[in-house]
Formats: sequence, C-alpha cells, structure tokens
Amino acid sequence: MTLTHIQGLLLFALIVSFALGFLSRRRALDRLKYILLSLALFLLAGIAIGWAMYPFSK
Amino acid sequence: MPDEEIIAAAGSTQWRNEVNAIGITLAGWLVPGLGHALQRMWGRAIACFLSVGLLVAISVGLRGNVFTPAAANDAFDMLGYVADLGTGSFYALARWLEVHGADVSKASGDYGTRFLATAGVLNLLAALHAYETARRPKS
Repeated sequence: MTLTHIQGLLLFALIVSFALGFLSRRRALDRLKYILLSLALFLLAGIAIGWAMYPFSK
Repeated sequence: MPDEEIIAAAGSTQWRNEVNAIGITLAGWLVPGLGHALQRMWGRAIACFLSVGLLVAISVGLRGNVFTPAAANDAFDMLGYVADLGTGSFYALARWLEVHGADVSKASGDYGTRFLATAGVLNLLAALHAYETARRPKS
C-alpha cells in the first residue's frame, strides 16, 4: 500500500478531525461543525507548510 | 445520621468513584473506546475505536515503524515506543500484523510510523477524556 502526500494528509486530517469532533462536542450539529473546521484547518496548515518548505526542496 | 458518618460515607463514595474512574481509564487505554462504552457513550466509543483502529490498520498497510524498547537507539525511538504503546492492545495487533517488517525507505512508510504514533496519542487522549467524565459527579 502506498499513499501520495495529499492522500496521506487527507486521510490523517479526516480521521483525527472525526475523533476530536466526537470527543470534544456533545451535540451532532456541533460535532459536524467542529469536524469540518478542524479538517479545513488541518488541510490549510498542511498545504501552507508544504509550500513554505518548497524553496528548500531543490 | 451524625456528621462523622455522613463525611465518612461521602469519602467512601469519592474513593469508589476514583477507583472506578481509573479502571475505566485503563479499559479505555487497553481497548480503544471501551472507556466510553462502559459509560454508555456509544457515539464516542465507536468513534474512538474506528479512528484508532483505522490509523493502526493504515499504518501497518504502509509498513510504518512499530517501535520496540529493544530496538530503540535513542530518546526519539523511546518516545516513539511510548506513543505506539498508547494504542493499548492494538500495539500487539500492529506488531502481529506487520509480518514483512517496516519499510521507511519511502515516504509512505514514514507516514505509517506517524499514523501509528498519532493513533497512540489519540487513544491516550480518549482514555483521559473517559477518566474525566467518569470522575464528574452524576446529575
């Protein structure tokens, strides 16, 4: 099994956001909001850090 | 009932709650989600079990490094071992399932190592959450 960088990031962000949403919120709607926000922030941070490292990759 | 008896009864109840909470934490660490399941928090129990289980399964599929104390060369390997051990019984499962050993020569293998460490830390967080909710006075 192999994953591309973006697949790894997506899987990681999805699973961890799902777990954190269920642990930290009680109501279904609050959980969904938390999961979506956490997922968006994970992806944003991952892509931003990826671009920040890009100049050092060459 | 005299005041001393009331205080003694309250102390005994508090002690019982504390022991119960520690038992729930250990159960939650050993089997991801069990700490919440014992408190009938089914949604959280299933979410913990699935999340930790998926992370471990993906980690094994990616051939990530499952750290052992014997193979630890430095403090980082030891930290990795502690993080991996956080998955409880799933750590033994990961070691048993990873028959071909780790392959961190590719990025995927390295991701696998991180996925397993994340599973461990997430499970410890869930176990601590179960402890906190078990200690909370029931309304």
